[in-house]
Amino acid sequence: MQAYIIRRIIGAVFVVFLVGTFSFFAIRVLPGDFATASLGLDAGSASADNIAQRKADLGLDLPIGEQYANWLWDTVRLDLGTSFLTQNSVWYEIGRSLPYSIELGILIMIVGFTVAIPVGLISAIFQDKALDYSLRGLAILALAAPVFWTAAIASLVVLQWDLFLIDVIGQPHLWENPGKAITWYLIPMFAGGFAGTATTMRLLRSQMLEVLRQDYVRTARAKGLRESVVIMRHALRNALLPVLTVMGVTIATIIGSQVILENMFNIPGIGNKVLTSLFARDNPVFQSVVLIIAVFTVLTNLVVDILYGVIDPRIRLS
Amino acid sequence: MSQVIDPTVVPLRDPTILDRATGGVRALGRFLRSKPLGGSGLILVVLFIAVALLASVIQRHDPDEIFETQNPDYKANPTTLELARNPDIGSPVLVSQFEEPGGGHWFGTDKFGRDIWSQVIHGSRLSLIVGLGASVIAVVGGLIIGMISAYYAGIVDLLIQRIVDMLQAIPFLVLVLVFTQITERSVLNVVLWLGVAGLAITTRLIRSAVLQVRESEFVLAAQVVGASDLRIMIRHVLPNCVAVLIIAFSIGIGAYILAEASISFLGAGPQGIPSWGQMVQAGRGSLDLHPWQTVFAGGAIMLIVLGFNLLGDALRDVLDPRLRGA
Repeated sequence: MQAYIIRRIIGAVFVVFLVGTFSFFAIRVLPGDFATASLGLDAGSASADNIAQRKADLGLDLPIGEQYANWLWDTVRLDLGTSFLTQNSVWYEIGRSLPYSIELGILIMIVGFTVAIPVGLISAIFQDKALDYSLRGLAILALAAPVFWTAAIASLVVLQWDLFLIDVIGQPHLWENPGKAITWYLIPMFAGGFAGTATTMRLLRSQMLEVLRQDYVRTARAKGLRESVVIMRHALRNALLPVLTVMGVTIATIIGSQVILENMFNIPGIGNKVLTSLFARDNPVFQSVVLIIAVFTVLTNLVVDILYGVIDPRIRLS
Repeated sequence: MSQVIDPTVVPLRDPTILDRATGGVRALGRFLRSKPLGGSGLILVVLFIAVALLASVIQRHDPDEIFETQNPDYKANPTTLELARNPDIGSPVLVSQFEEPGGGHWFGTDKFGRDIWSQVIHGSRLSLIVGLGASVIAVVGGLIIGMISAYYAGIVDLLIQRIVDMLQAIPFLVLVLVFTQITERSVLNVVLWLGVAGLAITTRLIRSAVLQVRESEFVLAAQVVGASDLRIMIRHVLPNCVAVLIIAFSIGIGAYILAEASISFLGAGPQGIPSWGQMVQAGRGSLDLHPWQTVFAGGAIMLIVLGFNLLGDALRDVLDPRLRGA
């Protein structure tokens, strides 16, 4: 078991290293750079000398190999550098935006799972009945609807019926002003939850169907247990395991939709940072933000796999 | 009475082309009957393909045509005071912006007085090109890489698998956004990069299929009689992976269409061609009063993705029931 865990951790660290390398080179391969773009804005003043000077200030004039070595050494020492755009340290930028993303991400997951688990369960219990078909139809629709459209339609409904006022200026955290924060997060969290967990619902349903045919479920029924106990204690627990294994994928999907939702609703989170730093060619911020997202997904996968190995001995032996 | 066919009886005469054609029609009929959801998906997909092909015929108006109406308050030489009260008074025609859906414009008109129906119709082309094109690239690339990875195991496999892990640790949308910015955002480039971004998933899927086939005894037999690696791959492994290839192709399409719509929505999509994602974004500016552009363009995205997803799910169930829920 220990060897398995160590092997997995080495693999995870290597993947994070690859992601960092990828984002380092990706942002530099893209046409344009921050020095030229920032000087180009005040027209006429940008001469070749100015640009060269600015590049030297930002360290963009060094050979790519040297830049990479510097980046690697700094990152290993957890020094993420300074944002080109705001001149703040990248850690400060992340510290300011990460809480928003975590809040929204958790809310999306809460909405998603509170919908997906009962719906998947009901769908499996009433297999091939009208209820099953309509719930599955809903899941298929949720999977097909673009998240930005669901969110737009939701805000349309809110606007049409004056359900509540969305304050676009205030950006309170949940712990600062829960009431205001929730109205602010309400549409993105439902839109994201709706889109992010259709897969979970479908997976849970098919797993439930499989588990319900197992011998131990028949045994449990034969013992005379109540159907609710059979389903909740014997079937659901086993059907949930595969749902947990795809947690990494689920989280990656949710982060992807957060990039769009945070942009739409002016939430200054990590997803928004990805976009602004990418479009502004703010290299240090972009590299770090992508790295953090990757650490997040890789860590989730790692924890899930190790837990799974603990629970199911067949995995760690293979 | 249903016809009973004994599978052990070999038909005496060779199947003619006509027989094969009717066989195909029958297989299609069987598919539609046993998979009603997949059947409706197929109908949706065929419908969208027809719309895309016939866009110029069923468009009703040119998508770029700007509609104008007579200005009822028009006055030839307005005074400054009148102009201040009504800035439009000096022009004989007005752009008929934000018309409600009706007989003249089925889906209404947008902010610039263009017909939304024609725009939505023309938008189907980009979505289809992107979905099908990117999926072809991802499957062909995934086939080559997945086969190499599975067949040569060892260090090559390990490296490829870690790169796949890397690509999957980055949200698909971010990957696509980065890739598409590398080159000029023409339709072809966007299709290409979407396919490249999708390589991770197809490679993984195809690799596991090849690994399974590689363990079969007929591959061992081929190796024993001295067949080359290339021959084994093409003659023995590939035909046994066709089901997975079809599945990998069909289940990816919806995701590529959504990804293109998303980057277009964010203003980073392909340029110079009508895009649904971009229309949803354009309509958001006046969503509270004139939601129709957003509603119809987004609805079109949902329907086309729905069609491809339903079809893909049904194909997967038919071809490889083990992958259910994957």
